[in-house]
Amino acid sequence: MQSKVMFADLTTGTFRIEEDPRLFRDFLGGTAAATELLTRHGRPDIDPLAPEAPLIFAIGPFSALFPAATKTIALFRSPLTGELGESHAGGRLASALRDAGIDALVVTGASKRPVYLKIDGLQADIRSARTFWGQSAPATERILREAAETRGRKLSIVRIGPAGERLSPLACATVDGSRHFGRLGLGAVMGSKKLKAIAVSGKGAVPIGDAKAYRNVYDRLYERVVRSGEMRKYHELGTPANVLALNAIGGLPTRNFSQGTFENAPLISGEAFLRDVNVQHTACAHCPCGCIQIAELREKFAPAHYSTVRVSYDYEPIFAVGTQLSLSGPDEILKVIASIEKQGWDSMSMGNTLAWATEAFLSGVIGESETNGLCLCFGDTKAYLEALRRIASGEGEFFRDLEMGTAFCSEKYGGADFAMQYGRVEPAGYLTGENAVMSWITGVRHSHLDDFGYSIDQKLLLQEIPLEEQVRMQVEDARWRMVLNSLVICLFARGVYDNDIIVEALGTLGLEWPLDRLKRLGEETLRAKYRWKAACGFSLDNTAIPEKMFRVKTSTGLIDRDRMARRLELYCKDL
Amino acid sequence: MSVKVLRVINRDRCIGCYSCMYACTRQLRGLGGTSKSAMRVRAYSGVEGTFSIRVCARCEEPDCAEACPTGALKTAPGGGVLLNREKCIHCGACVKTCAITALQWDEEEKIPIPCIHCGQCVRYCPNGVLALTDRQGPKEGDGHAK
Repeated sequence: MQSKVMFADLTTGTFRIEEDPRLFRDFLGGTAAATELLTRHGRPDIDPLAPEAPLIFAIGPFSALFPAATKTIALFRSPLTGELGESHAGGRLASALRDAGIDALVVTGASKRPVYLKIDGLQADIRSARTFWGQSAPATERILREAAETRGRKLSIVRIGPAGERLSPLACATVDGSRHFGRLGLGAVMGSKKLKAIAVSGKGAVPIGDAKAYRNVYDRLYERVVRSGEMRKYHELGTPANVLALNAIGGLPTRNFSQGTFENAPLISGEAFLRDVNVQHTACAHCPCGCIQIAELREKFAPAHYSTVRVSYDYEPIFAVGTQLSLSGPDEILKVIASIEKQGWDSMSMGNTLAWATEAFLSGVIGESETNGLCLCFGDTKAYLEALRRIASGEGEFFRDLEMGTAFCSEKYGGADFAMQYGRVEPAGYLTGENAVMSWITGVRHSHLDDFGYSIDQKLLLQEIPLEEQVRMQVEDARWRMVLNSLVICLFARGVYDNDIIVEALGTLGLEWPLDRLKRLGEETLRAKYRWKAACGFSLDNTAIPEKMFRVKTSTGLIDRDRMARRLELYCKDL
Repeated sequence: MSVKVLRVINRDRCIGCYSCMYACTRQLRGLGGTSKSAMRVRAYSGVEGTFSIRVCARCEEPDCAEACPTGALKTAPGGGVLLNREKCIHCGACVKTCAITALQWDEEEKIPIPCIHCGQCVRYCPNGVLALTDRQGPKEGDGHAK
């Protein structure tokens, strides 16, 4: 039974553990419990980067106990949108928090000097990070993993790069090798607290209510994850399988969402990456599927001399810096991803922002006076690497502004009609149609992961579904994901974790959660999130779609203004 | 008599999912987590995706048993060790002496966790990294100490 919430106050340097079994009895864990903590401790009235603003992490009852239950939920107020900030990351964090016996962590306050938070079991300590403030996100991991005090432990490290230190709202926090709390600016929230990293380890084991039944359910889930073929897509090509799949249906956003097919898709497909640069798959702790794709980038830097770095890739970065910037080879894409990883930006937001900047440059909205002579052209890898270098080093106002995101830049420089952002968040790689757009404008975190909108669009290619039904499916899925994200499982395993096995698995842990109770939790959590968003000023009545989207053909045709209004009306009613 | 010995046969195929350590803790102790596992996988810093796997070598003349001042750790039939909990004084000498750091330490109970070479970790490895082999002839594979 989960119960322990650690509160860390960086201003006073104090910690306490609160026993709160009721929080987990009523809200299960994960996103539902974190939403309740945000409701209790969040401050919709103050700056997202104010010291008082809490940063909340939570795991759920399945974390580290069942295969592919690997994610940790983070909630905060987003410096990018000003409203709900929510991001999920894999890696070893959920496993380490479980080992530590901590079910949720609430970080408030701000340190005067750079620090990192070291958690070992229920003990925490604030340590100086002055010596490595300014280091890249990958270097920070190496430093902390090598530190004598933590050597040999099964340690998870969450850290920011220089982008987070500069308070860029596009800054992510990287977890272990290459997983991310990518979206909505969690990195800036850490930066505002002068919190360079969080290192978590523990030694605990989790008592199980009914060990025999637990092993039995575990074995069935393990079989399905590893042998049934249900997760084969992730196990083999991983998410980059989407490149060719989406290109085939005209849903692969290309050159700032100008079209849904990319002429060089075969050159940057998951298949091409696998053949040419992939060296290994790795996994999050306790996921036998192992979808993390690792590539090697080998570069010649002097005669007869090469440097080699390992870079993790996924569909979304391939889309954001590949098709969006018209880069046509794995090496080009990996170079840009590696540069983004070092600074610790969210690659999706940064790729989209560079795509906006390119269209702004090519259409004359900005000129060489803004870019200080740098020509931004689709396909020009060198120019993009130079742009990233200038953003990182703060050379020129325009480049400093780019790390504020697409919405900020288009408000300042113009080009709002082609600024790809929904609720100030840059979109994921789906030009599939109206349902995907609905996810972005209505989703609680403006994410393609809020519901399966892009998947409904793809169903529409095969069958007719009445509009009312499409919206109903979307709302229902958004609610159910609240449950999955409270358990907390990886959404890639959502097919494996069917209703019956979830209820049964909870039972083996001694948790009574019949299906109707789970569904109620999903509904209530979704509503609670909208309430918190409303307190921050968000309203479903004020959503906007970039004008350009009405002129571009998607997989399911053109986006219709009236139909979108009707969808929104239905969505609000169904909610 | 053939003796079963747990071996790392494909270290390079490890994806770092820790299913083996979870299996050991779950199947033998009925607990969640990895902290009661008799073997370990660790991630190396700096090189993404490089894992080191330490499993008991089932030594016929175990250093760990020799280091035990009270005779709590005794050589098991066929090699490896068995623990007599009552005799253990929690000094940790056994773990310190294991050059390949395969013998694990239970931080809660302050006792070593001898591997019984049962093969549960092998069963749950999705990539065939581990194997339960018969001890006959020279050691196979790329070894346990890499």
